[in-house]
Amino acid sequence: MDDPRHRKCEPYDTACHLARMQDWHADFESEIESLIDYLQKLSRRSREAHGECSGYYSNIVELSRAKTRFSFEVSHELKSPLAAVHNVLDILIRGYLKDDPAKRLELLRRARDRVREATTLLDDLLTLSRLEEKTARVKRVPVDIAALLGSLVEEMAEPARERDVAFTWRIGGDLPVVSANPLLLKRAFANIIDNALQYNRPGGSAELVVSRDADAVLVRLADTGLGIDEDELPLVFDLFFRGRRARAQGRREGIGLGLSLVKRIVDEHGGTIAITGRAGGGTTVTIRLPGQQGGGPSGEKNPDC
Amino acid sequence: MAKRILIVDDDPDLVDTMKIVLEANGYVTGAAADTAQAMVRLREKKPDLIILDIMMRTKSEGIWFAQHLRGDTARKDIPILVLTGVNRDPEMSSTALDPELDAQFLPSDGFLEKPVDTDVLLREVARLTGS
Repeated sequence: MDDPRHRKCEPYDTACHLARMQDWHADFESEIESLIDYLQKLSRRSREAHGECSGYYSNIVELSRAKTRFSFEVSHELKSPLAAVHNVLDILIRGYLKDDPAKRLELLRRARDRVREATTLLDDLLTLSRLEEKTARVKRVPVDIAALLGSLVEEMAEPARERDVAFTWRIGGDLPVVSANPLLLKRAFANIIDNALQYNRPGGSAELVVSRDADAVLVRLADTGLGIDEDELPLVFDLFFRGRRARAQGRREGIGLGLSLVKRIVDEHGGTIAITGRAGGGTTVTIRLPGQQGGGPSGEKNPDC
Repeated sequence: MAKRILIVDDDPDLVDTMKIVLEANGYVTGAAADTAQAMVRLREKKPDLIILDIMMRTKSEGIWFAQHLRGDTARKDIPILVLTGVNRDPEMSSTALDPELDAQFLPSDGFLEKPVDTDVLLREVARLTGS
């Protein structure tokens, strides 16, 4: 091709020289334009990367804060039962209530319950942290929900009687098999039944209905307990959530991680959980677990709970 | 006349053990599980001392209550003994209790750290009720 820059000009051919310089100039300008364009692209990419990094950075800061806050709340939640137990033991050791054996026994029972509460919390924390491990795959096996709940409700019959709550259940016979971790599911169901019994009133009731819903299992637990105010319903799955009605009544038993852990377990199994109810009228918990066909793959490696 | 103490704390076991100790030592006690109940108790009978747990639901609830009392001419003379259950490690996050900072915002006449030492409790209560 005839490259204008290499056009040969006669020494005194001014027009030719001029044309050649104009071509050089045009080339030069277009090179500069490409360079400017390239630099602008670089600048934009740099800004975008910076934006991404800022995003990651604030995420990290936020997570770090959440973690610290979590540790703070956990230690506070554990310190409470320990302080109560300490005080009960301390005053008994010092000889208070030496003439009131009935009251002594009552305090000791309460202290024992607080220890149980702290232990439950620690168990829940351990479970939760294992679930949070991204690398861990929860081991799952085909589970007969009717059998699992059947044995659980028998275990909860006595605690229900102790609290004077009428606990009844209806477990359907044609439930689909669920691919699940039986220990985790049992923990989740035990937690919600425990709540239904704890936050109930003497003479109240709790009813568990387990049925088939297409190819899923539907677990519905309704109680006549304290209930949760409507404005608090969105918060029920927060760690350490305790409704104001429960607090007002001085209810401290069974702190654990309650519903936050239940939801985590239900999520892990590809299910859904909903809490409904009105203050003073009780609460209904509805859990839906997909059957083996609809569920995720059963787990491979790692720790079982 | 026996001195009356109002205990504001949401932990019924802690409240009961404090009541047992205080009543065995000649005090009359009342209790409230939160600041709203505490206001009701205050209206019923004016106490000679308030033991206030500030580690209830939110830290600000207790602080608000103490400030409110100080602003109330009829009640600002009631001494307040604050119960705190927080480790005052300065390395802790900003959500930890800062004694210097809180002193500005939290009007109190004494601090008790949980778990409450019975001897310290009795000593502080005696001091603040002039017993």
